[in-house]
Amino acid sequence: MALSNLQGRVAWIFERADFDIDEIVGVKNIKIQDVEKLADMAMREFEPEFHAQVQPGDLLVGNHNFGYGHPHYPPMIAMRHLGIAGVIAESFAPGYWRGEVAMGFPQVCCPGILDAVDRWDRVEVDWTAGIVRNLTRGSSLPFEPLAEADRQMLEAGGLIGYLHARARAEQDIEATS
Amino acid sequence: MGSTIAEKILARAAGLASVKAGDEVRAKPDFVIAYDFPGYTNVIFRQMEEDFGIEKVAEPERFALFIDHMVPAVTPEEEDLHRNTRDWGKKNGVPVYERLGIGHHVASELGYATPGAFVVHFDGHVSQMGTFGTLAMGIRRHLLEAFVNERIQMQVPATVRVNLHGETGPGVMARDVFHHIVRELGPAACRFQVLEIGGDGLAGISVDGRQTINCLAMFTGAVTAIMNPDDLTLPIARERARLDIEPVFSDADASYSAVHDIDVKALEPVAVVPPSPRNTQNLADHAGTEVQVGYLGSCASGRLEDLEIAARVLKGRHIKPGFQLHVVPTSQAIMEEASRRGYLTDLIAAGAFVTSSSCDYCFGRAGVMTAGQRAVSTGTLNVRGRMGSPDSEIYIVNAAAVAASALTGKITDPRPYLQ
Repeated sequence: MALSNLQGRVAWIFERADFDIDEIVGVKNIKIQDVEKLADMAMREFEPEFHAQVQPGDLLVGNHNFGYGHPHYPPMIAMRHLGIAGVIAESFAPGYWRGEVAMGFPQVCCPGILDAVDRWDRVEVDWTAGIVRNLTRGSSLPFEPLAEADRQMLEAGGLIGYLHARARAEQDIEATS
Repeated sequence: MGSTIAEKILARAAGLASVKAGDEVRAKPDFVIAYDFPGYTNVIFRQMEEDFGIEKVAEPERFALFIDHMVPAVTPEEEDLHRNTRDWGKKNGVPVYERLGIGHHVASELGYATPGAFVVHFDGHVSQMGTFGTLAMGIRRHLLEAFVNERIQMQVPATVRVNLHGETGPGVMARDVFHHIVRELGPAACRFQVLEIGGDGLAGISVDGRQTINCLAMFTGAVTAIMNPDDLTLPIARERARLDIEPVFSDADASYSAVHDIDVKALEPVAVVPPSPRNTQNLADHAGTEVQVGYLGSCASGRLEDLEIAARVLKGRHIKPGFQLHVVPTSQAIMEEASRRGYLTDLIAAGAFVTSSSCDYCFGRAGVMTAGQRAVSTGTLNVRGRMGSPDSEIYIVNAAAVAASALTGKITDPRPYLQ
């Protein structure tokens, strides 16, 4: 099963390097588990109209070392609930990366992305070609290939699906050998 | 071309003669460790059964659970989580270590930090075990993979080598050295890589200090940190090691993605300024800033040398009236030894509030601040809300500086108190 390309608008650009994603919902809300409440709080400090503007399939763009600090899961749970389909950043902090890939949430490490997009540009992540296309500008930029396990995990929709898929693949190998 | 210690450990764990950075491998962790926490262990236990039909882990001796957060419990729900952990441990034949201290530190005390071993946890601070030549990685929810499969799929990380040079002056601690590394290299220098620390300056850093440095590796972006075991750490680690495996060491011609040299001779005490662990500055630049709370503890700091130096600063003095100084040793074994040596007596006499070991002061569950308050802390992290209100602030400083600041109610350079 190949990954479907992502296509959507750049709903927001986090320009700060080492961005702490907990700020998306606000640190004081980080223990809230109700997804509706989380989604309601998301991005209020950045763009009060975000909820009205965002559409399913939209993407976020980040700077270097996106997700640095001590990332928790609620901010991106909120973002997915609002329709965000993935994050493209100059680079990622590994703890954040691991956590979100395990949730099946596509993350794309694309050096140069900050200069390559403006907010609301329509972009496409082409997994096969390994490029991010800016459909608005007509430009493209290569992204760093996914590690094998990460690719399989995104294809399987997250960690649980990935582990099941691998177990099935191993059974198939045993059955045919 | 030779191999790094991390490559050698992963080669053995993957059952291969050698591996190189970038290789995709399936590695068998020698130990899988975790503390119980809602959303992690309870979910793993449930997923094991419901999603994978696994009633019990294979090879229970490879697993260890720790109860260190929410200790003591303050709600029935917390105690319920702990009880479920104990029950799960009993059913699986997996040891549950409780009330011994902060889990991954206790894991080192109990010999899980076997030189040459590969260890996984969900929490990244487990990198502390790298002090003993153990490759210990925090892999967040991927830990489930280690509970349901013998091996975990991973890419061999590259290694960044940092050579320390020189010896720090009095009142400058390993805590300062680590944050100075972040200041020099930046918060992303080791992203997705192993931070290997060595150099002639390492000889001057105690085992406690090395645990401090390795524990905090994540703030350089590293997936873990490791030091080649030496004459100081090898005898300790081998005596308590749980596995009979040969220690391994980086080859002289090992390949590193970068090599950095950092001289710590002229280093001054630092303050990591809120709200990010990337903000290392000289403490002197913030001296005089008013603080109301002090926290001396955590898996990063709170070991004997931290308690000793704080006791030395505070001995025969008294903290400022109204100041809240929380002292929480990293483990009960450390607390016992600190008691035997009289450090706790000096700390208590000076007005410190000393409690048994727990993670709870570090993550804002105990000793919390309200809006507008400010702390000096040896906790792991200074992000907003880490110790209570998002409108409180945390300055990370070394243990001596926490003690000195408790005397004055202001961020204070500890060195004059150590003469």
